Amino acid sequence: MTPARSGGRWRCWPAAVVWLLAAVPGAGLAAELDEVLARGELVWAADQEGGGPHVFVDPDDPTRLIGFEVELAALVAGELGVKARFQQGQWDRLPLLLGRAADCVVNGFESTPQRARDWRCSRPYFAYALQLVARRDSALDSLEALAKAGPRGPWRIGVLTGSAAEIEMRRRSDLAIEVVGYDGTVDCLEQVRGRVLDAGLMDDCIASFNADRFGELRGVGRPFAGGTYTILTAPDTPRLSAAIDEALGRLITDGRLKALYDRWDLAGRQQMLLLRDAAEVPPAPRGSLADLIRGALPLLLSSAGMTILLSVASFPVAILIGLSVAVGRLHGPAWLRPFLACYVEILRGTPLMLQLYALFFLLPKAGLALPALVAAILGLALNYSAYESEIYRAGLKAVPVGQFEAALALGMTKWQCLRHVLVPQAVRIVMPPVTSDFIALFKDTSVCSAITVIELTKRYSVLALSTGRIAELAIVTALLYLAMSWPLSLLSRWFERRLEQRCERAPG
Amino acid sequence: MIEVESLAAIRAGNRILDAITLSVAEGTVTTLVGPSGGGKSTLLRCLNGLETFAEGRVTIAGHRLSAGDHAPRALERVRRDVGMVFQGFNLFPHLSAIDNVTLAPRIVRGVPPAEARRRGLELLQRVGLSRFVEARPATLSGGQQQRVAIARSLAMEPRVMLFDEPTSALDPQMSAEVLDVIVELARGGQTMVVVTHDHGFARRAATQVVELVAGRVHRAGPAAEILAGSGH
Repeated sequence: MTPARSGGRWRCWPAAVVWLLAAVPGAGLAAELDEVLARGELVWAADQEGGGPHVFVDPDDPTRLIGFEVELAALVAGELGVKARFQQGQWDRLPLLLGRAADCVVNGFESTPQRARDWRCSRPYFAYALQLVARRDSALDSLEALAKAGPRGPWRIGVLTGSAAEIEMRRRSDLAIEVVGYDGTVDCLEQVRGRVLDAGLMDDCIASFNADRFGELRGVGRPFAGGTYTILTAPDTPRLSAAIDEALGRLITDGRLKALYDRWDLAGRQQMLLLRDAAEVPPAPRGSLADLIRGALPLLLSSAGMTILLSVASFPVAILIGLSVAVGRLHGPAWLRPFLACYVEILRGTPLMLQLYALFFLLPKAGLALPALVAAILGLALNYSAYESEIYRAGLKAVPVGQFEAALALGMTKWQCLRHVLVPQAVRIVMPPVTSDFIALFKDTSVCSAITVIELTKRYSVLALSTGRIAELAIVTALLYLAMSWPLSLLSRWFERRLEQRCERAPG
Repeated sequence: MIEVESLAAIRAGNRILDAITLSVAEGTVTTLVGPSGGGKSTLLRCLNGLETFAEGRVTIAGHRLSAGDHAPRALERVRRDVGMVFQGFNLFPHLSAIDNVTLAPRIVRGVPPAEARRRGLELLQRVGLSRFVEARPATLSGGQQQRVAIARSLAMEPRVMLFDEPTSALDPQMSAEVLDVIVELARGGQTMVVVTHDHGFARRAATQVVELVAGRVHRAGPAAEILAGSGH
């Protein structure tokens, strides 16, 4: 397999990441209070891509992280008598870093019963409510309007994957909406601006923080369905969690937290009013394994269907484009060849992830808003067409030159030679590498979750985090992948054997 | 049928063919003989434009080829009237014997599939391969493959047939099968040019023998005359 292909494997399964981190010497952190004090550092995890006002890169100095949670982490660490150290992670997987690479997660994690069950949750440090945001010219002008479908069908509402906004929207079966999950709130706002989405639902502090940047957007209705943010720590760290609670208590009573929120224009006085009295969230009960699988399997299976759809729809397109590019580079007009060479180098030399982003987030700016599924299929097809064209180029070159001469000597045109003699033989020669490329594409479909398409890996990730059954679901998911790719491997080997037999029979 | 006038070909600065002038009358068999590297195959490949030449000109089956690059359309017209059989057979391995024979008539000349197949079966019978109509080339012996290649070429009803060492890759037994087919064609009045090392064939079938040495015509004339003193 081409080494460049491994770009698609960045999105390893969280369980594997945890295992790897644990296996790296020094990466494992036993996060109980004594170790934190002995180390002199409180390692806190957040996602700097998540954006403001929580944690984000200073626009004036991109080497610096700022945000109210950066300052909060420093204050809490100070109360413990240690320094704060930042650890980057992808937002919906931050809790997986606990006890391994981070002592606590401080990144707008809402108190939910699931989180209270699977992790230790501190007392609340911030109160939020959910704000719906739409274009100023949108037909969606009130929360009540969500009850009935809009002019283009159900309202398309963007949410941060794994956030309280997503839980709230997916719970509301009474609304005429379609929920689309994003990895970042700013991505979601961009898509509202580009009319791909009708609205986004997010924490009110995020909506107001981005109000200036997205002048075309406005809040729809008042904030609703409020809750609080909590600092997560690992389940086996009762003393660290208690120390963080005490630190937050002191910061609330002595006014330092209020001053911090006022500095960030987050209505400090009202925050104090809400935090003083915020109720603790009781943990949810843990279900049996059978219940878990019964509940998760239909979702995993339907997402496996999405994985198959993405592969099956994109690969034939990749082959068609790839074959055309290969033929063009070998037999096309001379002026065309450098362009085709550039096409291959650009698509092969840049990450699939970036290409998907360009198709989904940049094209709407040029006036072409593709549905996520179309963008995903097109992105996979274009990316793989570069690899297929190289395979077919090699296959065409492997056909003996005598074949071309014999066809020409019969009076065929160049294109008739290609169509009837060279391409059919090249297709047979490249069957094994093409089949193995199909397996690679099949696994690369997981990258499409970056543009809101929920396929098997993404579904696993969401389910694992919401249920806390990381290992059990990883095994089920892996089995599903194997059940799909194993037949493809067999097919590939069969092609190979058949080709070998043909070669043996052919005389020298 | 074929006129070659003052033809010269240059490869990597060497004149590998020089001042070649020869003439082939309709319905006759010309063999090109001579030592390896003498330019026999190159000359043959100049006749249907598989190779270009630097000087002189070729007139073949009413078409004219000049020095330098040829226009693709002109070559396609020449090749419809000029068949070629290669030393390495070059059958299309993904097609059965009958499909090898009928492909070009169907796609180049637009012969209806049923008609092309009928004619293809006749030709396979003529070269003694009625039992191998659906066989893939890989399952045939070398001699059988070469006979399919001859049938494939005949299917275009060429006015001239070019043979490039058609039996060099074959053992004596299989050579004989193929030569019999070629001799039979010659008796039927097919105009042909045959590159060969086989003086026996030249004696049996050639009207004219041209001996090329170091890119030049060393001797040329009626077969009996040229081959008489050769000691073969």
